[in-house]
Amino acid sequence: MRFPCRTSCAGRDCESFNPQVLNHKLKTIIVRRMNKLIISILGDDRPGIIAAVSRVLFQQDCNIENVSQTILQSEFSAIFILSVPEGLTIDELNRHLNKKLSPLNLYFHVKKLSKNKENTAKPEDSEPFVITTIGPDRKGLVAEITKVIADYNVNVTNLKAVFKGGDVPGNNIMIYEVDIPITTNQNKFCTELRQKAQSLNLDVTIQHRNIFMALNRI
Amino acid sequence: MLSNKEIVSTLEMLKNENLDVRTVTLGINLFDCISHNLKRAQEKIRTKILKQAGNLVNTCNQVGDKYGIPVVNKRIAVSPIAVVGAPFTSKELVEIAKTLNKSAEEVNIDFIGGFSALVEKGIANCDMALIQAIPRALAETQRVCASVNVASTRAGINMNVVSLMGKTIKKAAALTSGQEGLACTKLCVFANIPQDVPFMAGAYLGIGEPDTVINVGISGPGVIKKAVDRALLADPNLDLGKISELIKRTAYKVTRLGELIGREVAEMLNIRFGVVDLSLAPSPKVGDSVGEIFQSLGLLNIGVPGTTAALALLNDAVKKGGAFASSHVGGLSGAFIPVSEDLNISDAADSGHLSLEKLEAMTSVCSVGLDMVAIPGDTSADTVAAIIADEMAIGVINNKTTAARLIPVPGKKAGDSVFFGGLLGKTTIIKVNNAQGDNRFVRLGGPIPAPIQSLKN
Repeated sequence: MRFPCRTSCAGRDCESFNPQVLNHKLKTIIVRRMNKLIISILGDDRPGIIAAVSRVLFQQDCNIENVSQTILQSEFSAIFILSVPEGLTIDELNRHLNKKLSPLNLYFHVKKLSKNKENTAKPEDSEPFVITTIGPDRKGLVAEITKVIADYNVNVTNLKAVFKGGDVPGNNIMIYEVDIPITTNQNKFCTELRQKAQSLNLDVTIQHRNIFMALNRI
Repeated sequence: MLSNKEIVSTLEMLKNENLDVRTVTLGINLFDCISHNLKRAQEKIRTKILKQAGNLVNTCNQVGDKYGIPVVNKRIAVSPIAVVGAPFTSKELVEIAKTLNKSAEEVNIDFIGGFSALVEKGIANCDMALIQAIPRALAETQRVCASVNVASTRAGINMNVVSLMGKTIKKAAALTSGQEGLACTKLCVFANIPQDVPFMAGAYLGIGEPDTVINVGISGPGVIKKAVDRALLADPNLDLGKISELIKRTAYKVTRLGELIGREVAEMLNIRFGVVDLSLAPSPKVGDSVGEIFQSLGLLNIGVPGTTAALALLNDAVKKGGAFASSHVGGLSGAFIPVSEDLNISDAADSGHLSLEKLEAMTSVCSVGLDMVAIPGDTSADTVAAIIADEMAIGVINNKTTAARLIPVPGKKAGDSVFFGGLLGKTTIIKVNNAQGDNRFVRLGGPIPAPIQSLKN
């Protein structure tokens, strides 16, 4: 028995006698023809936001590949990377999302994900470190610290910062997960970072990420 | 992604609680250096140590810098010299000790262990030569450590050697009388000695071990103390079951750290990683004391009633946490109570809270034994041997390691202060009670037979 294809290619590319071969061919064609989009969403946090977004995406035959979501104070924020079927335009998706998300008072932005952007974040030869600063809040802390980090070509892979005031260490803390290239002069980088932190009245520590993983993860 | 709590609690451990890796010890097999010619043997030993350990210190420093965790001591343990130097007289073995000392200097490590003999069942000529060489070997070198295993659960106690060790210790003390009997601080008498101890003075490379191996000794009494303090501050009514759980979790973290660093050193040196010895090893500075943990647990001082029970809890919790953290646990693994090396325990000896008898009781539940105990210089060789025999009996019957590192300080009496310096610390000389009169028992010699629990097969 022949298994005809029912996709937009009308079976020309993937007609087959074997269901497994057909399945493989179909997948190959779908991946080739899928575009990738990135959506960022901001707004007041409330239950049901992710459910609403993912329902729209499902209805439009999109496949969610990555999601990162967090809540800062009471603000919801999320980034979705998804593959979309051929024929679904950004305008069309914008329209569907707008219909569903506007009543929830959410702001969103959809853009096409550039090709070759995947797997480029982490430099090949680097060591993962965690830079932590603890100390009183003031304007410009992130800017000052990240300037030193950037000057040494160190890549920030994750940043969390909390400033609540008071003396509790965990209430005034910046945590930078970074990749330090092995070509970077680590001693010089650490010295400059410590000097900068001192000038900002911050207590800084620079520790290899492996330590945190070894101590806290089984 | 790491959580804030994970990061803050880890930094707290690293920054404020004296967490370090106490020792990375490189085991080197010297059996391929055996020769009938002394000069040839010395040259082969030196060449092998320099070849294998040439990068040890630099590598440990590099890894320490990378992680911001110092490797405090870098050391070497070699095959038992009684076997390596079997063809030699005791005078020649002293020359071998000097070669070990010089090699240790050349690779910049502070101690080299393995001037050792295993004589729990009987004593061969080579073992006798080595034991006779010990006093001079330790007096005429700075970095060589010696150990003699005189008992085991399988073999019983070799009382002939116990008696001989009493005399050997006295002689070693006499040869270093100008340095408070310093030679004795580098000599351990063992029951059930493990083959992979990274800690001095008992480190040697066992016969069943590989050609080279990296063993790591972790530390962290300060971390345990602070964890207990914090928990009791948050909940003053915390019961001992919960405190035990807390110590267990903390020991887990400390062990993971030691293994992380040890494995990286081993990988960089291209040497097999052996074991983590998860012992609480104190040093003579505030905040790095096993004794202080007892005070955190609610005792007035180490040595008062309740101490042995508290030590049992501590030792067991450390073992449980460490065993979960690493599949390669070995050495002594537990809590050390070296009197002079722990400021707080030393103070307890000074204030009279800690007696020799209480220390002995504690050694039945801790990981080592009568460690760095200074006793009056006029203690007789028989009495020293008898104290050792008591300690060995605890190890043999309880199927555990025990050791005695006793220092009869020449010219000093109970209550006097003695200063050894550096990591060896300072202490007050402990009184030896009821030591008057003749002690014929230890001179009867022969074996104390292996106990019934040795019949396991």
